[in-house]
Amino acid sequence: MASAPWRRVVVRGLGNGRAVQLGLGLVLVGVLGKLLLLSYANFETVFVACLLAGSLLGRWYTVLVPLAVLLILQPLYWGALYPNFALEAMAGISFFVVTGYLFVGLAGRGLKPRVLFRIQSVALLTTVSVPLTVAYDLWTDVGEWYFLARPAGIGFVTVLQLQFPFTLIHILSSLIFVPLFGSIFLVLMHHELDLPHRSAEPREGPGPVPAGRCIVWPGVLTPSSPRESKLIWSAYKYLYFHVHL
Amino acid sequence: MAPRSSERQWAVVFAMALVLSVGGLYGYIRSSQPAAVAPRGPVLATLTIEGGGWTIRYGPVSTTNNTVFAFLREASERMHFEVRYVTYTIPEGVLVTSINGTANGSGGRFWQYWVDGHYGDRAADRREITDGASVVWTFTIPQGGG
Repeated sequence: MASAPWRRVVVRGLGNGRAVQLGLGLVLVGVLGKLLLLSYANFETVFVACLLAGSLLGRWYTVLVPLAVLLILQPLYWGALYPNFALEAMAGISFFVVTGYLFVGLAGRGLKPRVLFRIQSVALLTTVSVPLTVAYDLWTDVGEWYFLARPAGIGFVTVLQLQFPFTLIHILSSLIFVPLFGSIFLVLMHHELDLPHRSAEPREGPGPVPAGRCIVWPGVLTPSSPRESKLIWSAYKYLYFHVHL
Repeated sequence: MAPRSSERQWAVVFAMALVLSVGGLYGYIRSSQPAAVAPRGPVLATLTIEGGGWTIRYGPVSTTNNTVFAFLREASERMHFEVRYVTYTIPEGVLVTSINGTANGSGGRFWQYWVDGHYGDRAADRREITDGASVVWTFTIPQGGG
């Protein structure tokens, strides 16, 4: 039976059930990390959740994860932590925070083709996270200056000077959380079907086979179904352990 | 196999670079923070709190609470008014969010302090008060360290 067009669009946008689980996992990481680390100013997990949503999951998650995290956190932030701010300031700063994290998600999406199940990918994400963190802080500084500091006659340069130590902490946060959660989510993603990892680079041949040994080269066989992929991977494991060990 | 050892080398180089970066940055952040104030003998100090429509005066009194924050807490306990604050671990220090029911953010104003006419440039629990100090808390628009 043919599915409705909107359903096909949703499925294309969200991917399979595993992708949905990982997307929800990123939302949890963003929300819980931020709440648990409230006493550490600018030490937060929303940034890494947005970056990974774009760079690992892509699709609608690039936008949905940042929006979902902030939809939960912003009312808590303004309602419980800073309840007395003027509505205009709350709305204005929220705009800069939301667009800042969306930018992080979209920047991550731009990296997606280069993010594979490899150490280099974690290194790439970690490296890129530093200028992205600075860019995010600069952007939100504009909002804080416009809505809070400017009405008080404080210049943008002063805002930047006051922000400097907090940006250092934010960079430290990215340097810790991006490799940590990046590695975890890469492993979760690529072990989705218990598949051997594949690289986008041209595959090298296995080379000459030494006498009495068989080299198992992951990725040579291409499964056409989850069941088949599990069978192939079982065969790989069997061969690896019985021939190599 | 070549690809596997290359991946391992990458992992080692990346881990080393990461540990160095995180360690260096963390060390710099810690060292650039104001040192904790050591307890000293009693000092004579005065506290004035201007909340925009109300004023609280405390002292001059002899106190062993020789930070701006500890002195404010002492006054709040003796004069029965509420002080709310958030304690931060990084950067270390407290942020006073509300005094006597007047909370930060209202009308774009925040709680800020001056010691002997000098604007508070650090967390209140990191600013020492010395003998004869006059501490003023004012609910006003941010001064930006000026």
